[in-house]
Amino acid sequence: MVAVGTMVWLGSEIMFFAGLFAMYFTIRSVSPDMWADRTEYLDITFASINTMILVISSVWCQLGVWQAERGIPHRTGSLLNVKSWGMREWYVLTYLFGATFIAGQVWEYATLTSEGLTPTADSYGSVFYITTGFHGLHVTGGLLAFLLIIGRSFTAKRYTHAQATGAVVTSYYWHFVDVVWIALFAVIYLVG
Amino acid sequence: MRTEVKIFGYLVPFFALATGLYAYFTEPREWVGIVGLLLTTIFSAFIAFYLWITGRKTDRRPEDDLEGEIADLSGDYGHFAPYSWWPLWLGLSIAAVALGLAVGWWLLICAAPFLVISILGWTFEFFRGEKAV
Repeated sequence: MVAVGTMVWLGSEIMFFAGLFAMYFTIRSVSPDMWADRTEYLDITFASINTMILVISSVWCQLGVWQAERGIPHRTGSLLNVKSWGMREWYVLTYLFGATFIAGQVWEYATLTSEGLTPTADSYGSVFYITTGFHGLHVTGGLLAFLLIIGRSFTAKRYTHAQATGAVVTSYYWHFVDVVWIALFAVIYLVG
Repeated sequence: MRTEVKIFGYLVPFFALATGLYAYFTEPREWVGIVGLLLTTIFSAFIAFYLWITGRKTDRRPEDDLEGEIADLSGDYGHFAPYSWWPLWLGLSIAAVALGLAVGWWLLICAAPFLVISILGWTFEFFRGEKAV
């Protein structure tokens, strides 16, 4: 029930990002010269590494989901024994990778701003910061959701099906923002 | 789930054809519509695929059975809150935060702690102590 409801909500989220993509393509199609000039500012190597960090975080998230589905909330052995990790340890690792991605975004924004590419500089700046910015806000929201899911596993006496469901639907959301970023990265950095 | 898979599955070739026709008649120059229709095709396929995967993991439901009875649907549907005041506080604090964006940062800063408390309250309501679900 919760899983299907989350998917329906993610469907509406897809429409939201589809609107942002439509905005990007529409403005790009009427000002190709601006794109040729402004995309020179982008650091593709840096963004590729940042993208890899987010994609890998999705892998850690899925490993955490499998542990949640098996009903294993936390590690049973030493922290170094990765095989004994539960949902909590994998989700903390996911959180760290996601937080690194956001830190990278902040660094990128700071660099671009110092070079003169700001949200109010021109329409390229506007669409760049609106698309990547809304995605960044979604990732930040996902990070907060991870904190709540990890927190829940501490406060409850037992690790129940309802707990695992919460962990699973959070992973749906995380994979969703990951896939949206892959599309954004391809459109903004690779297609140029 | 078979009927649901079919409903969205049939939309895939329809929108694929519509994308092709649209691209042909606009002499592929109007990109927004082409991309929009193409994405509609992909999303229909995505929903059909999701329903198919879900249908494989769950047992056949009474509504999938032509001989099914309404009474067959009784049973456990998962955890639902009997009642909760938290959504009200969450709604009010989000309203105050959103108003803060329009009015001024001072209001947003005043409202933010209420938002944090509401989210924590709702998330942890049924996940505390002995009676946690």
